[in-house]
Amino acid sequence: MDDINPAIGAFVQEAQEILEGLEDLLLDLEDRSDPEQIDAVFRTLHTVKGSGAMFGFGTLARFTHHFEDAFDRIRAGRLSIDGRLIDLSLRARDHMIALLNCGGDGPQATALEESPEAIALLAALFEITGAEVSRATGGNAAAEATSPVQQHGALRRWLIRFVPEVNALRNGMRPDLLLEELGGLGQVDISADIAALPGMDELEPTRGYLGWTATLETDQPKSAIEAVFIFADDAELAITEEMIAPPPKVDPESSEDEPPSGKVKEKSGESVRVPAVKLDEIMDQLGELVIAQARLSQMASADAELESVVEEIERLVTGLRDATLSIRMLPIEIVFGKFRRVVRDLSTELGKVVTLITEGGETEIDKTVIDRLSEPLVHMIRNSMDHGIESAEARAAAGKPSRGTVRLSARQEGGEVLITIEDDGAGLDAEAIRFKAIERGLLSSEAQPTESELFQLIFAPGFSTAKQVSSVSGRGVGMDAVRSTVDALRGSIEVASRRGTGTRVTLRLPVTLAIIDGLLVRLGNAVFVIPLAAVEECVELDAAERERESGRTMLCIREHLVPFLDLDEVFGWSPSVESPRRVVIVKFDGQRLGLVVDDILGQNQTVIKTFSQYHRDVPGFAGATILGDGSVALIIDVATLARRALAERAERKPAA
Amino acid sequence: MTKASCQSSSYEMVLIFRLSGEAFAISVSRVHEILDPIPVTEVPNASAFAPALVNVRGAIVPLIDIRQRLRMQPERPSNSTRLVVLELPVAGIPTRLAIMTDAVEEVAETDISALEPIPDLGSRWPEQYVSGVIRHGSDLAIFLDTENLFCPDPERVAQS
Repeated sequence: MDDINPAIGAFVQEAQEILEGLEDLLLDLEDRSDPEQIDAVFRTLHTVKGSGAMFGFGTLARFTHHFEDAFDRIRAGRLSIDGRLIDLSLRARDHMIALLNCGGDGPQATALEESPEAIALLAALFEITGAEVSRATGGNAAAEATSPVQQHGALRRWLIRFVPEVNALRNGMRPDLLLEELGGLGQVDISADIAALPGMDELEPTRGYLGWTATLETDQPKSAIEAVFIFADDAELAITEEMIAPPPKVDPESSEDEPPSGKVKEKSGESVRVPAVKLDEIMDQLGELVIAQARLSQMASADAELESVVEEIERLVTGLRDATLSIRMLPIEIVFGKFRRVVRDLSTELGKVVTLITEGGETEIDKTVIDRLSEPLVHMIRNSMDHGIESAEARAAAGKPSRGTVRLSARQEGGEVLITIEDDGAGLDAEAIRFKAIERGLLSSEAQPTESELFQLIFAPGFSTAKQVSSVSGRGVGMDAVRSTVDALRGSIEVASRRGTGTRVTLRLPVTLAIIDGLLVRLGNAVFVIPLAAVEECVELDAAERERESGRTMLCIREHLVPFLDLDEVFGWSPSVESPRRVVIVKFDGQRLGLVVDDILGQNQTVIKTFSQYHRDVPGFAGATILGDGSVALIIDVATLARRALAERAERKPAA
Repeated sequence: MTKASCQSSSYEMVLIFRLSGEAFAISVSRVHEILDPIPVTEVPNASAFAPALVNVRGAIVPLIDIRQRLRMQPERPSNSTRLVVLELPVAGIPTRLAIMTDAVEEVAETDISALEPIPDLGSRWPEQYVSGVIRHGSDLAIFLDTENLFCPDPERVAQS
């Protein structure tokens, strides 16, 4: 499919998105079935049908037509919505995606169309719509589909003049299919207009020179005719009702303000589809620009006039950076949205009633993170539903509501995004995990791990306490995959669980941005960058009174005790003798923490260059950057630095 | 350098450099550039094998201390100290890295097929990091096994 027509490619992509949206619409319908919602589903189906037929996806159009029929009935109030209908609709939507993925009519699509699943699906749809199964397969559907015989209403005569735009053929438009579809509406008489056709020597085969005039007798309203041409929005189109009197002159301008074509145009103006690699390229270039700009501002400090220009450039670069980053940021809702279907399907499969609650879907996170997040989250939700949530009987016995709840939430904290999956199920069985871990040789039988250490074991490869493997989970593969993905994103996982009450798994992920605002600090001769997003305030060490109380090192800042870390101690350097020193107060795990440095140098835009494999495992750093003077500075990753240092301190304490 | 290519008679250009008076050779195809000393940035808590980072024309490149693996004592920088920037696959990933040498001597053509094994007796070089010795004038130069020498994980080298 290398020589695929770009217009067809665009159709496939757009249809894919439309069908993704359809899933949400259908799921919404289950809770809220107002007419607007039903109309939206109907419109979606109609769009796919129309454009599918036009771009050579006849099988898809045929199938969609029957699906659309069902919703037509719902719209007319002749059919009510229930769980079974939603089930069927979701399956029908999946089938549409499968047909779409065949890339057009061909042996693959035909095989799919004739597969037992497809036939069963159609039979189920016909059962709803009351149509006959014999119509199911074969024949030219788009035409047959909208056969006027079924419809009521008086016959009207329409005069249609249709002249495709000269380049329309090149864009994949198929006037033959449109005219055929028109034939499906009723009795039609078509004549071609060849007035614009040049001589053979001037004829360009890829251009369209023809126009058509059709007289259609149909009981369908004008909108049905317009719908046929909905995607030929560049074409000259005029639809006029023919009176018994002599035919009126066709006015080619009349199509100008028709809503269907206007809508399509507006939609394409709203957004631009850009390959992600191009965004990455912009990001790389921007990174270079920021570094060059930092060098420039360093050089300009001697010249006042130059400095003002440099400041202007700095402002512009910052604006450009923010705009570029915002392009890459997507609301996490995109991932969360997919899980409604997962939960619904699993509920049926496992015979458990589970509600999914999502919160903080508006939290934004870099596209690269989003792309890799979906799979681990599915694993975790499956786990929660299969192992976490108990059967309805067990829940009733434990005095819990029979309906289980899985709560998926996201929020930003400093430079991290926290994603939490919480269920109100049985909780983790620490003893069972311990037993299994000893059996698997992950733990010695004498070891006395803390509960949280035990819980971390569920992420070990192949670890599962499930007594039987279900189709959903229990093979012990999932959580291992979760951890490796989160590790690769430089994130971490925390597990909290209470037996009988539920389990909460929290993923901490950096908002891995390629460029961040950084605070430059000095320690000895070395310069480090602390992400500004994590910084709360900076104080002088002298102003903050050191307080040593039962071995814990705390600073007293405005009457609040704040634990602190001496960075030279954390880095294993000899203690600084400089005075006065400064403290950068950072947020970490929801608490405040002081980092003691020699001096604070100022802010800068920091381009994060990730470490090579030689330094990837060094804790406490998010990467490195190049400063204006060309030197390399390390970027401190507050969370991992603090966690490690505090853990070491905790280890030392009992020994001391 | 794979063992297979060592057996056929083939001439190859090598870069000869010195560490504490000893001559070492590395295939020129791995060498990206040679630089005068530049400021280095120490990475706290990093291994002694990869202690720092340097800025090579806008790219942040790890500085590798191969003396660690060759069991050699550190040396003070002198006028002849040079940074050799290499580009080679490390664990399958194309990687740029830098090593500090006491002096860069010359680029020489050498017959790789004449690579001699290091005599077991009296060899102070860990065998997994050297491919053999080559003649270098009246002297000998140690031909380094770059694949093992720059492997980030020493345990993997021990196994291979």
